[in-house]
Amino acid sequence: MTTPGWWAMALCEAVNDKTPLAVAFAGEELVLFRNAEGQAFALEDRCPHRRVPLALGRVVAAGLQCGYHGWTFDGASGRCTQIPNLRTNEPVPPRYAARAFPVSEGNGFVHVWLGEGVPDIDLPTDDYRPVGQQFTGSTIVNMSHEQYLAAMLDGPECLLNFAHVRMTDFFLGDVRKEHGRLVLERGAVWTTQILPSNFVVDYPLIVRTEVPVQGGSIRVDLLSEDETPLISLAIASGANRRGTTSLCWRGFVHAEVPAKAPLRWRTARVWHKAPFTVNSLIDGSAVAALLEAPSRDLHAARPPRLIPVSAVV
Amino acid sequence: MHAVPSTNETTTGEAPARKLRGDWTPINYDLRDTWFPVSHSRDLCARPIRRIIHAQPYYLWRENGLPIAAEFHPQRSKGEALHLSEFTGGSGFYPVVERYGYIWAWYGNPDAADPLQLPHIPFLPEDGNIPGYTQRTVRFDATSALSVENLIDLTHADFLHANTIGDGISESDVVEVEWTSETVTRTRTVAQKSVAPIMRWVGGVRAKYQDFRAVLHIHLRSNVCISYPRFRPGYDVPNLQPFLPVGKHRSRCDVTFNTTAAPAPFRYVMPRINYIIQPQDNSVVRPQNQRYFEADERLDMHSRFDKPGTRYRYQMEQLAERQAAGQFAYGSDAEPGRDISGLLGMND
Repeated sequence: MTTPGWWAMALCEAVNDKTPLAVAFAGEELVLFRNAEGQAFALEDRCPHRRVPLALGRVVAAGLQCGYHGWTFDGASGRCTQIPNLRTNEPVPPRYAARAFPVSEGNGFVHVWLGEGVPDIDLPTDDYRPVGQQFTGSTIVNMSHEQYLAAMLDGPECLLNFAHVRMTDFFLGDVRKEHGRLVLERGAVWTTQILPSNFVVDYPLIVRTEVPVQGGSIRVDLLSEDETPLISLAIASGANRRGTTSLCWRGFVHAEVPAKAPLRWRTARVWHKAPFTVNSLIDGSAVAALLEAPSRDLHAARPPRLIPVSAVV
Repeated sequence: MHAVPSTNETTTGEAPARKLRGDWTPINYDLRDTWFPVSHSRDLCARPIRRIIHAQPYYLWRENGLPIAAEFHPQRSKGEALHLSEFTGGSGFYPVVERYGYIWAWYGNPDAADPLQLPHIPFLPEDGNIPGYTQRTVRFDATSALSVENLIDLTHADFLHANTIGDGISESDVVEVEWTSETVTRTRTVAQKSVAPIMRWVGGVRAKYQDFRAVLHIHLRSNVCISYPRFRPGYDVPNLQPFLPVGKHRSRCDVTFNTTAAPAPFRYVMPRINYIIQPQDNSVVRPQNQRYFEADERLDMHSRFDKPGTRYRYQMEQLAERQAAGQFAYGSDAEPGRDISGLLGMND
């Protein structure tokens, strides 16, 4: 089964015209790079000559040059444009090509279209509208993608933290579907609060997690009790090899400061300290202890497998 | 100036029948009834050492100075019931021969073992009397056939090893391929190529360009690669690179570079060049290996510079098919032990 779609695979600043970037998302191993004009390209990370990863090569004026024999591939079409030692008047057969994938940059992410069909105009990160300083990162976590998405609904505290905030597992309503994502909210409290969260009448904070029904674009927001956004994150996720998950993310702090925000939160904000952490190391015992709850809706809503079958250029 | 393609192929083999080619899956090849050089002679003493050919254990040691190859450890297995295989005919001991500074052990039906089938290596003394500096051991992170393919592959050397061996720029570059049912021989004749950096900086060759003729003779069953490069101005650098198949994913190479006729320090440095080249090769063959586990719908693309490699693939496929059909005997065109001095160009 093929479910076409855009996958955010890298931060824009991580892709350059010097060193190719290997990424693995949704079971595809790709290599990203830019030309001298700054245009980003995505090729399958496999030279069609001897199957060596193209990410071991280097970016040259004509495209991406394989590190084994120097075959060079055009980023846009994937066509092999140069084979070392061929005479200058000797053409390379047109069918000699690496698989090329459509690329679209937006909202600070490099998106790659996987699957067949015509690429959409809309990008999955379009609802990420940062203001001010952004906090970014990327990692690979030791957890399968489907389980990562499920844990993002059942227990996001296992996967990420907001500074000076303690998430609770009291869900504020059921999972709802909005704009192609399953949305769930839960209560949260400031860590400076003396009383345990059980004694709170109304939670001062809300953590809203949005998990995609297709693709891998996760959205997480920290809201005040009146649902004013305080911190927003866009997390791009996708299946890497051996049951791991690739992640890259961007986040920012909104201008609003809640009236009851503790001093340490305000101070950290003034000093531009990172307002959140996306965990690279995940506590297996904490994940194992998560009871399956909202993620039941995810299993029902999300196609069991996304397998892109061919490149579309 | 650019390299000239391999237009002058010499074909001593019969024209293969046209048939639909499948994918190349070298990892699954397990060719039998052949001698493998499992160890340098100097590495063998009374204390047993272990080697592996495909998945078969080989324990090697000396008794009264003579090499022994067995499928059991002589000390650890005392008092235990031994599970002996068809590879030793139930005796537990493999046929073994010591020659050219190597211990050669038979892999296959022991009744078929014949020392006359040992490869002829004209640049190594039969009694193995050669200085220790000529011998080194390197390991490749790929199945043996991919390692051999890497060795026979010309253009990667110009590209991946340009800083050591030199680039591919020359006045003319002719590649010829010959083959039998058991061997593939590649001859590359290059005129006015940039002097190899190692020859310039260590070998004292001050010329800007040099001619060279490099012959690589490959025994398909055993992955024994006999190489005779001749550089002028410069030196002959005859070498033996036998790729021992240590399972499906790794290969071991006990190398001998007979540089005894070359001046110092080149004669000492050249045998160690594999410590530079091997990591470069491993950086590509290591990730390459996993992509040849199973037949892929997308076959590899080839340039005309890959003809030696594609011929090697084809001959290996033919040999594997014959063995899969139960035909282990050497073909009438195959004489593993024939004198190859002329073929290597040593007499020129």
